[in-house]
Amino acid sequence: MSFEIPFGPQHPALEESINFMFEIEEERVVSVKPRLGYVHRGIEKIAESRNYQQLVYLSERICGICSFAHALCYSQAVEQLLGLEVPERARFIRTIVAEMERIQNHYLWLGLTAKEMGFETLFMYAWRDRETIIRMLDMISGKRVHYGMSTIGGVRRDITEPMIKRIEKSLDHLEVRAEYYTKVCTKDPLILRRTVGVGILRPREARALCAVGPTARASGIARDVRADEPYAAYGEVPFRVVTYRGCDVASRTYVRIDEIKESIKIIRYALKNLPEGPIRIKVPTRVPEGEVISRVEAPRGENLHFLKSNGTDKPERWKIRAPTLANLLSLCKMLIGVNLADVPVVIAGIDPCIACAERIAIVDVNMRKLKVWNGEDLWRYANEWYQKRYGR
Amino acid sequence: MRRSEIRRQLRIRARNIIVQNDRRFFVNIEKKDLKRVIRRLMRMKNYTHLSTITALDTGYNMEVIYHVAFTDALVSVKVQVSKEDPILPSIVEIIPGAALYEREVHDLFGIVFEGNPDLSPLLLPDDWPEDIYPLRKFWSVDKIFSKLGGRR
Repeated sequence: MSFEIPFGPQHPALEESINFMFEIEEERVVSVKPRLGYVHRGIEKIAESRNYQQLVYLSERICGICSFAHALCYSQAVEQLLGLEVPERARFIRTIVAEMERIQNHYLWLGLTAKEMGFETLFMYAWRDRETIIRMLDMISGKRVHYGMSTIGGVRRDITEPMIKRIEKSLDHLEVRAEYYTKVCTKDPLILRRTVGVGILRPREARALCAVGPTARASGIARDVRADEPYAAYGEVPFRVVTYRGCDVASRTYVRIDEIKESIKIIRYALKNLPEGPIRIKVPTRVPEGEVISRVEAPRGENLHFLKSNGTDKPERWKIRAPTLANLLSLCKMLIGVNLADVPVVIAGIDPCIACAERIAIVDVNMRKLKVWNGEDLWRYANEWYQKRYGR
Repeated sequence: MRRSEIRRQLRIRARNIIVQNDRRFFVNIEKKDLKRVIRRLMRMKNYTHLSTITALDTGYNMEVIYHVAFTDALVSVKVQVSKEDPILPSIVEIIPGAALYEREVHDLFGIVFEGNPDLSPLLLPDDWPEDIYPLRKFWSVDKIFSKLGGRR
């Protein structure tokens, strides 16, 4: 019998830097100002000096967690410019990998949110189950994070018969676990106390601030690129767009857990109906002039790539809009009026890619004092506050 | 969505509407019509949100593209703005969600959005020189490096 012990949550990607300037009155947040740019790498500028094939790899490295969503979005854009039809089998494999990535991301999110609440057991549980799906991705692609699966004109690796069997087995396990997490997150009084009614984003506000992905869907807005503008094989696979009306962190949790279940169904259907045929087609290196927009529903929300070509082998302009930027204003709205102790949970609630409030500066309105906290100080403050209040 | 529907709603000439396929529409408009067009697009059926704002360098001019998403299409509204006078009206009062996109374009292209309450740097460092707009074609990577006094 073998034991599996998850080792350490320390990972550079999860400690990415973003700065929030909070203004607080007693313990309530009055205003928030975000400041980005600590990890700005100028990818859009780099792209002007690389050719289309090289950019597939660069696109994958935009994000460490939803890497496939970016690579897929970029590949689709170039395929549109070339006027290519991707083989049917490749479209199904893309759907399968995209959904596996969604499961992986949502488990990661569940774990991190649990950690922000000081619920470390759930954090360990969720990350252990995330390992199951990462192993499957590793089996298909040979890599755990940047899968290198999507390419212009199809996918790079096939899913074979023995792989299908192993994936189905792991899906059965994950489904049982997802049911368990539903039970935990809807019944556990400690989780309910930390999430219900916290970080409210009303539907009207979500619409005005252009929220996307699970953040919008937890406010009752059925906004999903997979349904609105089917790409890959989403037009042929039946699925439900999960929405909740709670508008709080609890709803954001339920949306994501239900999406895990929905993704499991999508993968099962796609594996069962996987068509035969080639997985990629040959593509020319030169791309005709034109401009296209490609949209993909990444685990965190809508992902948009704008690509303009000038007839050479390098693009004229490649614009990337990742979902976190679209949700940042909504996050600021949610944080206003929130108790300082709830800030970590609310920030985790939108699943920010520039995660973990690393540097936080707090201006006390009454005292006119400036305190600078890092993420750990805030985390400690939040959990001690709840301990004092509810004695846990 | 159809071309005729956009033409009727926005009250612009048909030749200014380019149909790429049944889900992608490009609309060329004048600077002065921007707010009116965005407002009218928002009132159309199936409107969901403003996806993003893209800017690009076209040589003499810069082009700003507003990607407005519908459940069944994506309408991209294009506005030309000159490099000598890079000023556009802000649409923040119509769509509050545009604030960060406008700040991003202001950072990287130096386009000023009149009416946006906060155009402080979002992505670039606080001590970034004022006249360098990294995504304009004039500023190659080498030029930016030499201006900043650094090495590759």
